[in-house]
Amino acid sequence: MSAVLERPRAAASTAQAGSRRLAWLRERGMGATILVAAISSAFGVILIAATGYITSIARADPYLGESGSIAFVLGILTVVFVGLAMYIASIVTANTFATVIAGRTRQIALLRLIGASARSQRQRVAAQGLVVGVLGALAGLLGGIALAAAGIWAIGRMLGLDGISHTLLDPAFALPAIVVALTTWAAAWSGSRAVLRVTPLQALAGSVPATHGDTGNRRVRGGGAIVLLAAGAALLGLGVLVGLFSPLGVLIAFVGGVLSFTGIALGAVIFIPPVLRLIGRLFGGSVTARLAAQHALRHPARSSRMAIGVVMGVALVTMFAVALESMKGVLAAELGSELLAEFTSVIDAVSAIMMGLVGVSAVIAAVGMVNLLTIGVVQRRRELGLLRALGLSNRQVRAMVMLEAAHIAIAALVAGLALGIVYGWAGAQSAFGSISTNPLGEVMPTVLWPAVPLWPMVAVVCATLLLTLVATVVPTRLATRVAPVEALAAD
Amino acid sequence: MYAEYLPRPTTPATALRSVESMEITTTELGLAARVQHLSRSYGREDGAVRALDGVSVGIRRGQFTAVMGPSGSGKSTLMHIMAGLDAPSSGRAWIGDTEITGLGDLELTILRRRRVGFIFQAFNLVPTLDALGNIMLPFELDGRRPSAMERARIDGLIQSLGLGPRLGHRPHQLSGGQQQRVAIARALATAPDLVFADEPTGNLDSRSGREVLSLLAAASAEHGQSIAMVTHDPVAASYADRILFLADGRLVAEKPRQRADEISRFMLGMEVAA
Repeated sequence: MSAVLERPRAAASTAQAGSRRLAWLRERGMGATILVAAISSAFGVILIAATGYITSIARADPYLGESGSIAFVLGILTVVFVGLAMYIASIVTANTFATVIAGRTRQIALLRLIGASARSQRQRVAAQGLVVGVLGALAGLLGGIALAAAGIWAIGRMLGLDGISHTLLDPAFALPAIVVALTTWAAAWSGSRAVLRVTPLQALAGSVPATHGDTGNRRVRGGGAIVLLAAGAALLGLGVLVGLFSPLGVLIAFVGGVLSFTGIALGAVIFIPPVLRLIGRLFGGSVTARLAAQHALRHPARSSRMAIGVVMGVALVTMFAVALESMKGVLAAELGSELLAEFTSVIDAVSAIMMGLVGVSAVIAAVGMVNLLTIGVVQRRRELGLLRALGLSNRQVRAMVMLEAAHIAIAALVAGLALGIVYGWAGAQSAFGSISTNPLGEVMPTVLWPAVPLWPMVAVVCATLLLTLVATVVPTRLATRVAPVEALAAD
Repeated sequence: MYAEYLPRPTTPATALRSVESMEITTTELGLAARVQHLSRSYGREDGAVRALDGVSVGIRRGQFTAVMGPSGSGKSTLMHIMAGLDAPSSGRAWIGDTEITGLGDLELTILRRRRVGFIFQAFNLVPTLDALGNIMLPFELDGRRPSAMERARIDGLIQSLGLGPRLGHRPHQLSGGQQQRVAIARALATAPDLVFADEPTGNLDSRSGREVLSLLAAASAEHGQSIAMVTHDPVAASYADRILFLADGRLVAEKPRQRADEISRFMLGMEVAA
C-alpha cells in the first residue's frame, strides 16, 4: 500500500528504473501470495514424488508386484489433497488481491482521474497476479523437488531400500506448478473485481468511504449450489441404504458426498452466514463482541469463502477419523484381538498421515485468515480511529480483532466437525453396513453408531485455534497502531 | 462520578486552597479546558513544521466557543490536543482539573470516553451499529449501563433531536443532517466536560447546518454544556458565544459573539495582514 510512497529517492537514475517497475512486489499481500503459491506447488510436487516412490517400492515387492491399484489409490488421494490445498490457496489469493486493491484505491482512482480505463487497471492487477503466481510456483517446484529428494534419500536409508530404482525428476512435477500459476492468475483476476468500483472521484480529498458492506445489495446466486446439495444428500442417503445389503453402497455414497460437498462449497455464502450469526450470538453482548460479530457479517461473501476453506479441511480430517473409528467397531466384531491390534495401529497411522496432509491446507488457510483480518483493519482505519477517539482502548481493539478471528474459526470448526461426522459415518455405514456382526451367525445388516475418536478431534480443534491465534498477530498489531486522529483525517 | 466536575462557585474556601497548592485550577478559572504555552511541531528537525507556537487559552465553562482560522493556522491541532487525541511537543493541557499532558494512552482513552464528546465533520457513526447503538456507545465502551438519570437525559436528547423514529436505522439509512444529530446525541449523552466539534456542518446543506448549529447553541445556553467548535465558516462561528482566532500557530484575537459579516471581515483582514 505504501510502497509508492516509500520508494527510495535514488530511484530516479535509469539503472534503477527496472527495480522501480517491480516496486509493487514489495506491497503488502504480494509476499503472502507468493508464499501460498509456493506451498501449494511444493505440496503437489512432494505428493507426486511420494506416490511415484511408493509405487516403485510396491513394484519391487514380489508379493505386491505390478498391481496398479496402489498407484491408483495414491493418485486419487494426491488429487484430493493437492486439490484441496489449491482450492483454499486460490480463495486466499483472491481475498489477498481484494486486500491489495483496498490499499491501492487512492492510486487507482488517481490513474482513473487522468484517463486510465477501469479495465486496463484490472488487467494490470491480474498480470501482477500471474507474475507472483509464476514466481511462487517456481519456488515451490524447486523447493518441492529438493524436499522430496531429501525425504526419499532419508527414507531409503532408514528402511534400507537401496535397490529401488526411482527417478527424482518426474515431468509430472511441472503439473502442480503450472496449475498453481494459472489458478493464482485467475484468483487475482477474480479478486480484482473491486477495481471496477473505484471511481475517479475517490482520488479527491475528503471522499467518504463506503460505510456499509455488501450486505443486502447483492442477490445471492445459490440455486445451483442448493440443487447440488440436495441431489448429493439424496445419493448419500441411498448409498447408506444400499450399504445395508452390499458394500457397493459406498460408491453411491461417495458420489453423493462429492456432489453435496461441492454444493456446500459453492453455496458457502448461503450456508456459512447463519453459522456465523449463531456463533456471534454466543460471544455475548459486550460492545467489542458485538462489533466483532457484526464485522464478520459485513462482507458475508468474503468471510464465508474464507471460512469454507477451514470447513473443508476440518471436515476432511474428521470424516477420515470418524470413518476409520467406526470401522474399528465393525472389525472388532469380525477379527480376533491380535489382528485387531495390528489393524488399529495401521488405521491410526493412516489417520495421522491424513491429518498431516490436510495440515498443509490448514497452514494456507491461516495465511488467508491473516489477509482477511488485515483487509478488515485496512478498510476500517477511519472506523477504528473513530472508535479510538470515542474511547475504545487499544486492549479493546486487540480483543475485537481476536474475536473476529475466533468468530470465523469457531464457526468453521463447528460446521466442519458436524459435516465430517456425517460424512464419516455415512462412508463407514455404506461400506460396512452389510457385514453381519451378529455373533449367532444369522445374517443381518448392521447399523453403526458414528464413533468420534477423542484425541484426533482434540488435535483438530487445538490446531485450528492455535493457527487462528498465530494469524491474529499481524492484524492486531496493525489495528492497535491506528491513531484516534485518523477518524478526522480526510481519507 | 460526574459530580466532581460540576460547575463550582468560586468561594473564599477554594481561593484559599489554590493559594496553598500554589496553582490555580481550571475549575477555579471558570474553564472547562485550557492549555498553557502549548507548542506542536511535526516532522524531523530539519524540515519541522510548527503547527502550534506557544498558545495559552481556555474554553469557558458553559459556553459555546468557536475556534477559527485559515487552513494551516493550527486550529485543528489545538483542538486535537485539547480533546486528548494528540500530544503536544511542549506545554501543558487540562480537561477540567485533570492535566492530560503526560497521561498514558489508556488513561487518555478512558478520559475521552468519560469526559469528552465528539462531533466530527463526517464519518461520525459506526456503520454496523444503529442510531441507538451509536448513542449508547460511550456507555458500552465503558462497560456499563446508563444510570436512571443518564437514561432520562438520553431520552430527552432523543426527543428534542427528533430521533425517536430513527433509532433502529443504520447510518447509511440516515441523511447527513440526521447522522449529525445522532452524533450530537452521543456527544451530549454523558454530559461531558467538553464537547469537541470539528467542522460539524462541513458536509451538510445550509439548512441542516443551521439546525445543527442551533442545537449546539441550545445545548450550551439551556444545559450549560461547554462546547468547542473548530470551523472556518463565519456563519457557523456566528452561533458561538466567543470566538478565538488562530493564525500561524498563534492565538491572534478573541472576540465575543459576532455577526457572520463581522467575522468574515475580520478574517479577511487577517489574510491581508499576513
